[in-house]
Amino acid sequence: MMGSRGTSVVLSRAARMRQKLQSALEASALDIEDVSYQHAGHAAVKDNANETHFNIKVISPKFEGQNLVKRHRMVYDLLTDELNSGLHAISIVAKTPTESGS
Amino acid sequence: MTYSSGISGDSNANGGTSATRVTADTDTHQDFQPTSKGSDMSLQDIVAQDIKENPVIIFMKGYPEAPRCGFSALAVKVLQQYGVSITARDILSNMKLKESVKAHSNWPTFPQIFINGEFVGGSDIILSMHQKGELKDLLGDSAQKGEQDSAQ
Repeated sequence: MMGSRGTSVVLSRAARMRQKLQSALEASALDIEDVSYQHAGHAAVKDNANETHFNIKVISPKFEGQNLVKRHRMVYDLLTDELNSGLHAISIVAKTPTESGS
Repeated sequence: MTYSSGISGDSNANGGTSATRVTADTDTHQDFQPTSKGSDMSLQDIVAQDIKENPVIIFMKGYPEAPRCGFSALAVKVLQQYGVSITARDILSNMKLKESVKAHSNWPTFPQIFINGEFVGGSDIILSMHQKGELKDLLGDSAQKGEQDSAQ
């Protein structure tokens, strides 16, 4: 059930997401928070599913000049494999270094 | 395909294009509701027309009065700050509708909000635009109020 295998998995979804986002976006800050527990029992989540919901906060120079839809698309595109393999939803905060510094 | 495993047992599943309409006033437009399930239009066309005909439309999980996902609930709540008519479609009750909308917008998750025929984004984006005051501009004259709840 929830959380029981989180520490024993060789490479968790969170870790894979971190790798993908970090390398592709050259993120200067990257927070990935597993909030799956908030959605346990959700209409579309299987009882035994974990690592389904994440909050992602990423600061990347690659977001410069991109509107929010494009920034979110960049993140979604990098996580396509995860979305197709049980990642249910992610909440994204995507800022440029300039925006985050204010 | 992301959620396919949990949908089949959905108690709300009825195979039809379920729709509900929320309005800020009594001047509703019943003729905008998609009733032509058996017509010769493809679902893809129906989605495109739906988006075109409804200035503010949200494809969500559940209904505005009974959202079945926190993100959908949040997006509805934000839009309702502006006192505009909101057209809502429940994608959980129709798998084909869900896939058609995803294909239309090339966006993997729900809710999805379209304003004046343009894809705006999901709940994060709608909330961010609300907080920055951009949503008010986008909704234009339809917005009777806004910026009431910029906290959070």
